[in-house]
Amino acid sequence: MKNYVLKRLVTSVFTLLAILLVLFVLMQLMPGSPFNDEKLNDSQREALYAKYGLDDPVVVQFGRYVGNMLHGDLGVSYKISKNTPISQMLETRLPVSLFIGGFAVSIGAVVGLILGLIAALKHDTILDSLATIISVIGVSVPSYVFALALSYSLGFKLQWFPMLYNLKDSFNSSVLPSISLSMFTMASIARFTRSEMLEVLGSDYMLLAESKGISGFSLIFRHALRNALIPIVTVLAPLVVDLMTGSLVVEKIFAIPGVGSLLVNAIQSNDYNVVISLSFIYSALYILIMLVVDILYGVIDPRIRLAKKGD
Amino acid sequence: MRKTKAAAALVTASALVLGSMSMGTAVFAEAGGSDLNIMLETPVESLDPQQATDGTSFEVIADYTDGLMQMDADGKAVEALAESYEISEDGLTYTFHLRDASWSNGDPVTANDFVYAWQRAVDPDIASEYAYMLSDIGQIVNAAEIISGEKDKSELGVTAVDDKTLEVKLNVPVSYFLSLMYFPTYYPVNQAFVEEVGDTFGTSPETVLSNGAFVLDTYEPAATAIHLTKNEDYWDAERVQLSGLNYQVIQDSQQALMSYQSGDLDTTLVNGEQVDQVKDDPEFQTIGAGYLWYVSPNMDGVPELANLNIRLAMSNAINRVSITEDVLKDGSIPTYTAVPLQFATGPDGSDYSADQTKYSDVCADDAEKAAEYWAAGLEELGISELTLDMVVDADDAPQKVAQVLKEQWETTLPGLTVNLVIEPKKNRVEDMQNGDFQLGLTRWGPDYADPMTYLGMWITGNSNNYGFWSNEEYDSIIAECTTGDLCTDAEGRWARLYDAEKIVMDEAVIYPLYTQANAEMLSSSVTGIEFHPVALNRVYKNAVKAE
Repeated sequence: MKNYVLKRLVTSVFTLLAILLVLFVLMQLMPGSPFNDEKLNDSQREALYAKYGLDDPVVVQFGRYVGNMLHGDLGVSYKISKNTPISQMLETRLPVSLFIGGFAVSIGAVVGLILGLIAALKHDTILDSLATIISVIGVSVPSYVFALALSYSLGFKLQWFPMLYNLKDSFNSSVLPSISLSMFTMASIARFTRSEMLEVLGSDYMLLAESKGISGFSLIFRHALRNALIPIVTVLAPLVVDLMTGSLVVEKIFAIPGVGSLLVNAIQSNDYNVVISLSFIYSALYILIMLVVDILYGVIDPRIRLAKKGD
Repeated sequence: MRKTKAAAALVTASALVLGSMSMGTAVFAEAGGSDLNIMLETPVESLDPQQATDGTSFEVIADYTDGLMQMDADGKAVEALAESYEISEDGLTYTFHLRDASWSNGDPVTANDFVYAWQRAVDPDIASEYAYMLSDIGQIVNAAEIISGEKDKSELGVTAVDDKTLEVKLNVPVSYFLSLMYFPTYYPVNQAFVEEVGDTFGTSPETVLSNGAFVLDTYEPAATAIHLTKNEDYWDAERVQLSGLNYQVIQDSQQALMSYQSGDLDTTLVNGEQVDQVKDDPEFQTIGAGYLWYVSPNMDGVPELANLNIRLAMSNAINRVSITEDVLKDGSIPTYTAVPLQFATGPDGSDYSADQTKYSDVCADDAEKAAEYWAAGLEELGISELTLDMVVDADDAPQKVAQVLKEQWETTLPGLTVNLVIEPKKNRVEDMQNGDFQLGLTRWGPDYADPMTYLGMWITGNSNNYGFWSNEEYDSIIAECTTGDLCTDAEGRWARLYDAEKIVMDEAVIYPLYTQANAEMLSSSVTGIEFHPVALNRVYKNAVKAE
């Protein structure tokens, strides 16, 4: 297992380097420049390019960037917040997105599991249909529709939660965005849980376990749900990264100072360093979560662990 | 055993979530009293007065920084940090005498703070985008040479005679020089402080100094929430009634309006679609924003557009009233002059563009005349059909306006087809500057309260002369008014500026559309906010909020 993890980590480093290079090339292909105010003349633009070393060949810029990154220097913003180190921007924004995303994943996973379980155990009853309807709505309605609806009803009309993100009250103001974001996760998890559970419940070993006299809680949770979890964890992993890295529209609606809105603003204004740093962090997070998922497989299903040992 | 492991994994996961939760929580002191709650459409880009370029940044910087002069309610320059000033007879030397004022770290504001700041503005190492405010616009001695790297920044024509006296030397008399003094690029910075905080200058409340009406106390880069508290040590503190300013960046217009309606905001912008919903509300108002929106035909790259009749036909075929009243609905004013309304006041105190009928023989909403010009133009060119592309920003309002323009042109001018090329603003600007377009829908905001901020654009070779138009007579009038004898003759200069504008209009160098206004809601409990189309859009020093 240790060897396996080590091998995966080494591969990850090279993957990340490759991603960084691709990002650099993509930045070059992006039309426009960070300095495209109509009031700038050519010589000023040249001066700005020279100031930030953007007139160097891509290879030189890439080398310098990687070098700086090893020292923890992600560069400065050119446009969104002029000359501010990216690390300083991330320091305040990343936790906000991580928290709201984490909150959303937790709600989505827990509620989704419960819904899925109910649907599977009460198969072909009104409860099952209800759970299915909820999941279909959750999957098909985009999160910003939920965001606007929640903001209007619970925020504006009932005033239970703040309509806009407020640093002074970050927990309460995270509730509405988190719920809006959790709907898709909840619906996907519910659907997967339901179908996996139905399959497991119909399998021979469940019949055996039941005939051995194992009953109730232990039967469902220890024998059935555990086996159903493998595919659920697989779908959950990318959803986690998606949510943790911030949602563009929901962040915009609730005025959340997170990283999702930052990335979009950065792309629109050609703020190269911000785009590269954020995309890089997303990639790193994605790779990390996938690694965690692989390790989790082993925890959940001993068969996978044993197979790995045999390698 | 296995169950405990799974449980442990769950606990770890939730601990992670809880951990990030505490990171996301920040505690701020609750501000009491009457803070004004203000909506911002875009975040601040920079709090460095010499590097900021956008209206939002300027507004916030000016909340906590004073320059030599400030704007009064009518936009006239009146003394701020300068207690008095003298102008030499030839108009080339300005001497400012500073009043006793201090920075929020206790240091006095000195003449050197201005010298240092202005040198930063032209320093090629800083590469300030608004450096031209000191060179081309302000005409400060040696500014242009320093920007281009020919001279050292210490040679800039500004000196601290003593701690309280600042002397500025100009190349030529600049009639509006005093009004530049409230433009944030000219604001002072404290040299010792800036050198101490280095690159972090302006990135947090700890790395800025205030000498103005408010003190910044909550800010982070690209923040969505900004808070300022009244500065008790401000030299004019008696005048400031508000306990503070509370800014909230809201990019979703529906959320903004709901926040206003629930009382969380005292003022907010309203977009065109929301106007119908709120226009009968007494708290609804429209404020002139100074921007001129216009269509620029590429006369150099498109032979058909080099034909004057074709251009005049297109300009007259536009129904500007319909654009502002049926499409925008935000109080924007139809404009038939090359200089927009309500920002430049002449020697006699009247708006430069008050008379919108001056050029009605060449620019009006006149479909009949347009058809005549069109027929004549087609005949001269020997064609019966014409297809043109127009580049348009991928933003809401410009797209709507472009759709209407297309429809108006195609209806009024038989044989004309206009295709819209929608692209992000940054690409649109680049395409236009490179001459890679046929028609372009664009806008220009005034940098200072003089028609020259517009008329200066159409001289030969200017990078914003998108049509690559060139006219010797025009160039010479503009030169006369910027560097020639007319600099000291306000009335004579004003008359010559009209001569220049007439050439632009006669030649249909641009098709002016409208002077932009912003539709907004302003709580009836708030009075005294000063709105300006130039430099600082909103000033709160005199604002009062009833409890």
